[in-house]
Amino acid sequence: MRYGIWIGRMARAGSGLLLAGMAGGCIQVRAPEKPIEINLNVKIQQEVVVRLQQDAKDLIQNNPELFPE
Amino acid sequence: MTRSFSTTALVAALLGLGTLGAAPAFAQDAVISAAKAAGTVGEQADGYLGIKGSVSGEVRAAVDALNIKRRAAYTDLAAKRGVTVQDMAAVTGCQTLAGRVSQGQIYRIGAGDWQTKGAGPIALPDYCAAAGK
Repeated sequence: MRYGIWIGRMARAGSGLLLAGMAGGCIQVRAPEKPIEINLNVKIQQEVVVRLQQDAKDLIQNNPELFPE
Repeated sequence: MTRSFSTTALVAALLGLGTLGAAPAFAQDAVISAAKAAGTVGEQADGYLGIKGSVSGEVRAAVDALNIKRRAAYTDLAAKRGVTVQDMAAVTGCQTLAGRVSQGQIYRIGAGDWQTKGAGPIALPDYCAAAGK
């Protein structure tokens, strides 16, 4: 079972690499001068905003008494 | 006759209860709309109403009651979406600031000062920008 999962993951990772290799034929990759910083918190926050936007709109539209102008 | 009277009385009583339940909400909204127009109550980026300066007990009570209802709605949605109540409230705050503050009404972003909306759109917090896309 465990092997099955690993093989599945490796296969997926492999196909990902293959795709990246095919698509990346013309892209020159240089080593960055600075270490890459990924701010996960900001990304998650923005994803949350995007994901909740429609809920927020619906909430206001469906409950106008909660949002008097 | 007696029976129909008592039925009528019952219906009237039930209607009365219904009206009692609905009237304060309506009255509260009217109180809040008036306070917004007067510049003593405004929308905040956190998704709730805030009070500027001192107001009557009636206005304060109406604001508190409405904020409790909003909080309940935010809590409900947040649980459904698996996010924090604060996030749900803040995203709604982006929407209220963007679309439900009229020119001349006050609003507040974060712990900043109360500002009065001019002719142009409100400069929203950075995180709201993601909602515009």
